[in-house]
Formats: sequence, C-alpha cells, structure tokens
Amino acid sequence: MTIQECYDMLGGSYEEVLGRLYSQALVEKFVGKFLADQSFQRLDATLAEGNFEEAFRAGHTLKGVADNLSFTKLKDSSSAITEALRAQNHDQALQLLPQVRQDYERTVGAIRAYQG
Amino acid sequence: MEQKKLEHRHKILVADDSEMNRFMLRNMLEESYEIIEAEDGLQAVAVLNKMGPEISLVLLDIVMPNMDGFGVLAAMNKYHWIEDVPVIMISAENTKVYIERAYDLGVTDYISRPFDIMVVRRRVINTIMLYAKQKRLVGMVADQIYEREKGNNLMVAILSHIVEFRNGESGLHVLHIHVITEMLLKHLAHKTDKYPLSQAEINLISTASALHDIGKIGVPEAVLNKPGRFTDEEFAIMKSHSKMGADMLADLPIKDEPLVKYAYDICRWHHERYDGRGYPDGLAGEDIPISAQVVALADVYDALTSERCYKKAFSHEKALEMIANGECGAFQPLLLECLMEISDSLREELAVRSVAMDDYQAMENVAAEMLQSKDLSSTDRTLRMLEHERMKYQFFASMSQEIQFEFSLIPPMLTISEWGAQRLGLDENIVDPYGNARVLELTGSERLEHLSRIVRQTTPEKPDSEYECQITINGEPRWHRIIFRSMWTSERPIQYIGVIGKVLDIHEERSRLMELEHQATHDGLTGLLNHRAAKEVISARLGQDSSQEFALVMLDLDYFKQANDQRGHQFGDGVLQHTAQRLCQSIRRNDVAARVGGDEFLVLLECNGDPESVVDRIFQTVRGEYEGFPISLSMGVAETQSGGRSYEQLLHRADQALYAVKRNGRGHYRFYDNSMEEMLSVLSPIDNAGEESQ
Repeated sequence: MTIQECYDMLGGSYEEVLGRLYSQALVEKFVGKFLADQSFQRLDATLAEGNFEEAFRAGHTLKGVADNLSFTKLKDSSSAITEALRAQNHDQALQLLPQVRQDYERTVGAIRAYQG
Repeated sequence: MEQKKLEHRHKILVADDSEMNRFMLRNMLEESYEIIEAEDGLQAVAVLNKMGPEISLVLLDIVMPNMDGFGVLAAMNKYHWIEDVPVIMISAENTKVYIERAYDLGVTDYISRPFDIMVVRRRVINTIMLYAKQKRLVGMVADQIYEREKGNNLMVAILSHIVEFRNGESGLHVLHIHVITEMLLKHLAHKTDKYPLSQAEINLISTASALHDIGKIGVPEAVLNKPGRFTDEEFAIMKSHSKMGADMLADLPIKDEPLVKYAYDICRWHHERYDGRGYPDGLAGEDIPISAQVVALADVYDALTSERCYKKAFSHEKALEMIANGECGAFQPLLLECLMEISDSLREELAVRSVAMDDYQAMENVAAEMLQSKDLSSTDRTLRMLEHERMKYQFFASMSQEIQFEFSLIPPMLTISEWGAQRLGLDENIVDPYGNARVLELTGSERLEHLSRIVRQTTPEKPDSEYECQITINGEPRWHRIIFRSMWTSERPIQYIGVIGKVLDIHEERSRLMELEHQATHDGLTGLLNHRAAKEVISARLGQDSSQEFALVMLDLDYFKQANDQRGHQFGDGVLQHTAQRLCQSIRRNDVAARVGGDEFLVLLECNGDPESVVDRIFQTVRGEYEGFPISLSMGVAETQSGGRSYEQLLHRADQALYAVKRNGRGHYRFYDNSMEEMLSVLSPIDNAGEESQ
C-alpha cells in the first residue's frame, strides 16, 4: 500500500499535505505519530462524563491535528462537533459523536494497514 | 552536524496542549533551533519566568487547559516579557475576534492551520531576526553593568582603605591611579591594536589598580613610613610587598574572578621594568602583563607628583621629564608616548575628577561603545562573542553560589531561582513573602524591614542599591550581600512595581577582610590597638560627649632595653606581652589601651571623679616582675579637666608629665601641671630598639 492509497482510504488529501510539507518522509512520520494522539479518546471520555468544556478542547485539538495532516473527513466531523460544543449545543454534539468515531477509526485503520 | 552544535542556536518555546502539534513543529524547526515544549499556559509562563529573554520566540496555541494562550499573553504583558520575546500565534482558531484580541495583546504574527512548512520557517526566522538586533543592544548594556557592579565590590573598597590607612596616604592616590590607568589604557587601545582591550576589560583593570599596594599590609609600619633612606635590609622588606599582595589574592576564595586575576598581575608585577631591572621576578618586555605595565607607570607618575613622607611633590612637567629621562626605570616606549600624548588632558582630569563622577564616566563609556557599534551587522562577530559571554555568565551563575530573585508588588510574589530556592530551603514561588514564616526565619523581620526601607529609597533614576546582612543557611548565620534594582512602570505616573536582584554569599570574603582590618588596626605583638588606630579611636571618644571627662595615661617601661640586651629579643617580646596583659586586667570596659611605641603604651580613662585611684591601680598591677626580670614603669597623666580636649593636646601633656617622671628617677607616676610646660618628648618609634633612638 502506498501513502497515497492510505490517504484515499481514510478520506484525506495527500496532494494537499505534500504541498505544505514538501517531503513524503515528513508526511509519513507525522501520520505515524497520529496513532499516539489521544484527543479522540479524550473527546469520547469527557463527553461521556458530561464535561463539555474539556470536550470542547479535545475536539478543538483533534480538528487542528486532522487539519494539519489533511485528514479531510475527520477534520470535517471534528470541526462540526467542536462548533456544536462551542455553541453549548450539547445534544447536537452527542449526536455528532458517532460520525467522529467512525472517521477516527477509519483513519486509524488505514494508517495501520499502511504500516503493515 | 558537529558544526551546527557549536553554533549558538536560538531557543523557541512551543506552547500547545497537543503533543501531535508540538511534534510537528519540532520536526519542522529543530534543525535550526533549540525547541522547548510547554503543554499548557502555566508551563509556558514558568519557562518564560525562568529563561526570560533567553527565549527568542514563542509559538503559542490559544485553546489550552489550565491557562489559555490569552492568559500567557496577559502574563507576558504584565511582566514586560512581551517587549523582549516575540510571540507567533499558531491556533487552529481562526475566528476574527480571537485573532484581533491576540494582536491587541502584542503578538507579532499569526500562522494559520494547516501548517505550511515554508510559511512556518519564514515567519519564525523573520520574527527572530527583527527582535535579535534589539536584544543584542540590551545585552551589551547588561554586560557593562555586570562588570561595573562586580568591580564596585566591598573587597576593593576595604582592601584599598586598609592600605591607605597604614600608608598614611590620602585616598587620592588610589583614585589617581585609577584615573591615570584608565586614561592610559583608553589611549593605548585607540592608538594601536597591539593589545585587544575592550571597554569592559579597561574598566576591570582600572578598578583592579586600586589594589596594587595591598601587599604593604605585610610591611612593618616602621619601614613603611620611614622618612629617611632605607637600609638594604629595609628595602628588601619593602620590596616584598608586591609578591605578598599577589599571594594574598591567590589565597582568596574568589581568585578566579577576572577582577582578582587582573589584580594579581598588577600586585605582583607593578614594580617590574621594561628592561628587566625591576622586581620581584625581573620580568622584561612583554612578559610583563600590560595591566601591570600601565599601573607601574601610573604609580610612578602619581608618586612623583604627590608629597610623601620622604619627599616633596614635583610639578607635572618635572615628573614627565624625569620619567622620560628614565630616572624611574625603563618603560615601554609605546606607553611613554601615550603618557606624553595625554599629558594635558591628564593634568586637567586629575584636577577635576572626583569619586562621584566615576559612575557617570562609565555610562559615557557604554554610550560611546554603543555608538561605535551602530552598524550591528558589520560587528556581528563581536556581538556573538558578547552573547557567548552572556551565556557563559549564565552558566557560571548557575554553578556559583548565587541566589537570584524577583519580587513583584502586585500581587506580592517572590520568585527565586532554582538553585537559590534550594539553598535557602524555600519554594521557588512565594506569595506574600512578608507574611511567610520561612522567609522571616531566614532574616528576621527587622532585617526584612530594613531591606524594604532601602528599596523605598531608590528612585527610577537611581534604581540600584545593595544591603548586607546575615541570612540563616542550614541553621548557620552567614553574611550575604543583596544587590538589587527596583523596577518602575514605563508610563506616567511612574510607579514602583517590584525588585530584581541577587544574593551573594560573602561570608568567607567578609570574615577574611574583617581579620585583615583587625590586623591593620592592631599591634601584632600585643593585640592592643596600634598608634594610628588609637589616635582615631581616642579622638572619636573625645569628640563624642563633651560633658564626659577623660584622663590620658602614657606609660613607659623603665630599663626595657636591658631585657632585650640581656635575655634576647624574644624575651623582650614576652615582657611586652605580659605588660599588655596586666594593663588590660587593670582597666575598665570603656577604657582604651594601645601600644604606641617600642615600650610605650597609651591608656584613655573615663573619669567620673578623681582618676587617681584607677591610675594607681594600673601602676600597681603592671609593676612587679616577669620571669625574674623586674618590671618598673613610669607614667605621665593628662586630664581633660585641666586643659584642651584634643588628642594632640592631651598626648603632648601626658608626654611632658612622663618626661618629668623620667627626669626624676623613673619608677613612679605624675599628673601634668603647668611646671612641665617646657619638657621634651619621650615617644620613640615602634621597632623594639626604642630607647636607642631619640
């Protein structure tokens, strides 16, 4: 599997990220590091506890990371949940969580498949 | 890669709660910069507090736990860090109000997400370059102030005071040497690049010049202040002062300080001559450090143009002529040229310079140096060296026993450097230190109040001051010097906002100096005050309370010469020590005893009524015998009641009364009366051969 195929599989744009980082090696390094990022787990856990303030920060971080890596689908869904939390629209945020989870798991799956 | 490591790398603080983001920025920048990470706002503030302007740039996220990016910016404004450390915002937040608020709080630039590696690197380098120039100027000034502050220390003040005290020279000698040395060095640096001398080095050498004669503390007073020609033996003793001074400095615990190193060279070699005919080592030519060469020339010039106990003052012109003719030994021709070229300004300068003008001069020097360097890019190498020096200073400060602190008034908070907090057994951050029990335990509330009084006396124009007190370290009270600068708002109304400073442990230094001062004011054999100190102490007591009456007793051992002649000098010394001991036993706490001649002693008695009973007790206690040697004494007494109150008047009358006793067969005492007015003097020099001379 190529890095391009990995990006296709997780719903992101490899052209876009390479245009910003200029090096395939750097993209691969950052993508690999994403597996250790805990912002989705924090989002999930804090929402379950009803700690919406912390959930906002976690969503915000996840959105920023996804944006930087051009994980387009994950960026879109995490951005939506962050905006819902910013507006203190808690019910809507809870409804948006499954989509974020799906995009996150798809992203992690694609990266693991790429790494072999 | 090895080359990269040796270069000075700018430090960038990355404050972002996402490890992923920090990881990305680190990877983009770490090839050219040193990256420091902070996981939230509080950590970022702590790093800034600790490293200050060492940080070249902050990359700041806005949405963070504990303290957000706006909180960090607020703190940076409050402590004025934002003036020295630029901030680039890196938030994923791109709402317009957020960005505007960040600019209002002083951020320099904004990098939006997603990151473009070229944009990140370009913005970072632009921002750092812009601020670096400004910061280097600040660095140059700090360097200068650092050297000055170290130069103006207690050691120089006390040591040079001691030497003058014993030499009977006015304080002007030390000041003159300072001025002449500084002028010669400046002219030399201007005239030739044979010696690379920076302004800071010139300041240090000039300050160190004050110590050139400290070795004289080891020269006996009889030799030091002898009016006539020296015998060969006396000259040999006199000559030993240069090496002795150097040895004293080599023993100091702070001997590695640049100031002390210069002082060592100067002490040891300021009597060497360019042709190798000086002492103590007979160095010639450039083997003599330039600092010592310059001070040697300054010393000769000032000695010629000043009055000394063995000579009159020569005129400026005559002195220059004598030096040029080689009458005071050989100097480097280049230095002689310098002296001749600054001749006119030297004479004027010496006439007008006073101690108070000294600091003003130093400021002018800094200003001149900065003007010279206005094209900073062309002197980049020099500036890098300065930066390097500053790094070295910071490193050594962290290695040395130094406690650095900052106190802010609102909120009342004391921040102490990591090493300092550990040394003092305090937390690094203390809210309301005046109410903190641990802080009070260290100094006591009285000293803390004294310190805050001194702080309140500073002004925005004169913000620097210092305070010496004992601080309890691990249960042991130790002397410390607190050097500080008060901080003020830059806008009107100007208000006091806090203090920065450091605490130096000066315990060893101070104990040693106190010991030296004791040596300078006391007779080495008997431990009593020496003649000069006795005069000071007695004069002060006489002037203190005009209603208190005193009696001055002059005491002389009869036939003391026989003790020396028959049983040797060591036995003679024993007699003197025994006498001093008995004398101390017979006087009261407020009385003053001194040894003022070979076998002559002086006692000042407080009189509350007739002093005869005390005088008699002294007489009876001291007389008797010492190891088979009969001790007989003669005493002359003068009272303030019966005449003038000055030390000289009293001494003169006691001296005459003593002479009257000696003429009438010795072995008794008498009070001064008018019949003794025409009597001669008994007082002999202190050299254990007293009764032979005069």
